[in-house]
Amino acid sequence: MFIIFLFTVAIIAAIFLIVPPAQGLGYLVRIIYFHIPAAWLSVIAFFTSAFYAAKFLKFQEIIFDELSARAAKIGFVCVIFSTLSGAIFSKLTWGAYWNWDPRQTTIFVLILIYGAYLTLRLAVTDLKIRAKVSAIYSLLSVLTVPFLIFILPRMYFSLHPSPIINSSGLEMDSTMLAVLIAALIDSTLIFIYLMKRRG
Amino acid sequence: MKLSACQFISVIRKEFLINCRQRAIFVSMLMFSLTALACISLAIGGTFLESKLLSALLWIIIFFASTALDKTFDDEAITTLKIYGDSQSIFFGKMIFSLISMTALMIFLLPTFLILFDCEVKSPPILLITIFFGICGISGAGTLISAISATASIRSGLFSILLFPIILPIFLLAIDLTSAALLNFEIPISSLITMIIYDSILILAGSILFDYLWY
Repeated sequence: MFIIFLFTVAIIAAIFLIVPPAQGLGYLVRIIYFHIPAAWLSVIAFFTSAFYAAKFLKFQEIIFDELSARAAKIGFVCVIFSTLSGAIFSKLTWGAYWNWDPRQTTIFVLILIYGAYLTLRLAVTDLKIRAKVSAIYSLLSVLTVPFLIFILPRMYFSLHPSPIINSSGLEMDSTMLAVLIAALIDSTLIFIYLMKRRG
Repeated sequence: MKLSACQFISVIRKEFLINCRQRAIFVSMLMFSLTALACISLAIGGTFLESKLLSALLWIIIFFASTALDKTFDDEAITTLKIYGDSQSIFFGKMIFSLISMTALMIFLLPTFLILFDCEVKSPPILLITIFFGICGISGAGTLISAISATASIRSGLFSILLFPIILPIFLLAIDLTSAALLNFEIPISSLITMIIYDSILILAGSILFDYLWY
């Protein structure tokens, strides 16, 4: 826990003290060091929740339902943070908070799925039934992923840049990229810590 | 996972008889779609609407009319079904009945929509195919979601909250295809194929997951 805390402090310090301003974006680029890890975690949490949902259906042990729900709650917080930070960044750089860009649509669908999942959990009072129906819904919602990743980007124009790390090599400044990768690793470690924490 | 043809037909027959007696599900779907159509048509008067907007309106009405399907598992015979029926016969029986209800609704809704909004359909076969596969997906997902939401103590609006994210791919593709059918643009066949594949996956997954819910 203490190591993760130190690592997080070091990354925040690097974001505000070391990372150079980006061409055309200036210091606004700092938002992406919070926005991208939050979006990354919301996707990881989504698959983690579905993974534990499948384990619950297979083994019928309530601990897997608790882990699935915990992943969904973390994912929900991350997806809200990612959406808000992305909307602010979008307004400051492209002039509009929202334009139904494919990635904005994807993140919005994630909000809807997480919201629906958590609403369902609140609406069902019986512990065993809640675990079962939540697991089923979690797995059913995974079906939308191929559509959101492969089909949606072909249907709508995107303002988002091409993937930062792609087949043609790295496009970012090396310091910025190193800090971003460190932020992604740090956020993943925080997620693992929160998942392993008791209670 | 087994499907008994005899039980499957019995479930459809039972649904048909119960709905003929009560008629609540179908009549509420019908009245909802008529009210929504009247609201929009009166609000816009004779204003010209682009085909994309018309297609979106049509699918919004279909989606909200389909929320009447949340009563699919409000069934007094559910305990009896659990004792005598296998899960797959019940899932597919209820799904096919939902599909029949939605088809009957569309027989009323589509001509009314086209008349009220003065639409000329340039490619009727594509429009009909799109609507058929669109309501297939809604019926497949709707049957499972209805069974899920039947377990909840607070159900107000739960069905549409749970259904929308799941059928969003169908919704977007259907709007795209309907718009193309109204304008006679080049029909995006890839969208149609994607919709059929997504429908099939949704029904298959619904059928597998229903077993876990039923037993």
